[in-house]
Formats: sequence, C-alpha cells, structure tokens
Amino acid sequence: MEWQAFGREAAHGVAYNVALMAAIIIPLMTVLEFARELKLLDRFSSRVTPLLRIFGMSGEASLPLLVGGVFGLAYGAGVIIESARSGKISWRDLFLVNIFLSVFHAAIEDTALFIAVGADPVVILGGRFLLAVVITLAASRIIR
Amino acid sequence: MDTVAVLKRGMQKGLQTMWALAKVIVPVYVGVTFLKHTPLMEIIANFFEPFMSIFGLPGEASVALVLGNLLNIYAALGAISSLDLSAKAITTIAAMLLISHSLLIESAVSARTGVSAVTMTVFRLSLSLAAGVLLNIML
Repeated sequence: MEWQAFGREAAHGVAYNVALMAAIIIPLMTVLEFARELKLLDRFSSRVTPLLRIFGMSGEASLPLLVGGVFGLAYGAGVIIESARSGKISWRDLFLVNIFLSVFHAAIEDTALFIAVGADPVVILGGRFLLAVVITLAASRIIR
Repeated sequence: MDTVAVLKRGMQKGLQTMWALAKVIVPVYVGVTFLKHTPLMEIIANFFEPFMSIFGLPGEASVALVLGNLLNIYAALGAISSLDLSAKAITTIAAMLLISHSLLIESAVSARTGVSAVTMTVFRLSLSLAAGVLLNIML
C-alpha cells in the first residue's frame, strides 16, 4: 500500500469537502434561522391548506407538514408530537403527515448537501416531492 | 426582531451543524479512502456488484448506501465524496438515501407519533429501492 498517496488523497479530500460544505451550510442555516424567527412557515401554512384538501386532510396538518418538510424530522418532531398530543389533529391526518414526511423531509439542508457532492437538484428535489405527493395520495384514498 | 441576535444564532447553528457534519465526514472519508488503497474495497465492490447493478451502481456504492441507512446522511456524504462515482450514480444514491436514511434514529421519532417503526422502515426501504430501479431506467 502507498501510504503517501493515501495520506495526500485523504488530507486533500477532507479539507476540500469540509470547506465546501461549510460554505454551503453556514449561510443556509443562517437563512433558515431568519425564516424560523419571522415565522414564515406559520404565515405560509394557510396557503398550503387547499393542497391538503387533495389528500382529504384538514388545515391543522399543514404546519407539521411544512415544518417537517422544510426543517427536517428532528426539528419537525416537536411540532408533530405537539399536534398529536393536543388532539386537534385526527389520527388519519397524522398518519398521512407521517407518510408524506417519511419521503419528503429536511428538503433544504439534505438537498443542499447532496448537491455539494454532485447530485442533480431537479431529480432529487422535484422527484422526491412528486413521489411524496403520489404516495400520500394513494394512502389517502385507501384510508378513509 | 433582533437582527444581530438572529444572525448570531443562525451562524452558531450553522457551525454546530458543521461540527456534527465534520465529526462524521472526516473519519468516514479517511476510512473509505484507506479502504480504496487496500484490496478490501475491491472485495466489497465485487461482492455487492450484482445487487448494486439493479440500480446501475458500481459495487463500491454499497458502502455509501449502508452507511447512510444505518448511520446517517453525513456518513454517506463522506463515503460519496471519497468514492469516484459518476454524476448519474451520485444522483441515484442521493435520491435513494433521501428517501431512506438514519433508519435507526428516525423510526424512533415516527414511533413516538404513534406509527409503527417497523412499518415505516420497511416502507421507506422499499420506496428507496424502487426509486433506485426507476432512476436507473430513467437517467
């Protein structure tokens, strides 16, 4: 084994990739923090309600769906668990939120990181969203 | 709104994420690069080649898929950036991993909202595999 070649490749690759990701993640997280502070998603959630009617879901489901979809499950879990506990959201809606989010979540952060390593943004973001809609639609027709 | 405070908090969160990312990416990158310089990578690649070819992926890609599903996306990113993969392969792996990843941790979250963890894991893995097959045909 060529230790020198390995050392060079590892050191160069680590430095390059960590720097590239820092250049993407730090500004992105700052923008997301502003979005959270301004409660942009709360304002936006009423506009998603018509879309949710396609799935036969109530407007109560729109915030957990948006928060999980944009910020991710770790952050969205708080909102999801909160709405589950409050009892304002039906079991069916909660199930469909889970179905949708299992396919489509943390859309911003995860997608940005994969674009950084060379993935096609249209395929991974658009395709994933489309898949989530189709699967949720199918599930919503099965569960009444 | 206190712009400076939000800016500070945002950058702090960015740095925290970066730290979490680096802690995983650096060892994985070094580990996978090391594997590439030993005969072991070829053995792994050859072993997984028949299965990976269903998704039009080289055998090495299995390392990224396994790490992403068992650990998390960060680990998979470390592996992807260390492997020499085509743009098509990276997009396929990314799509598959975006659908199913960190299965151990995230199923636990799903379970807390009242949905079975096993159901969710099986569901996500099958969707991920289906997406891989589909993208191999489409891309």
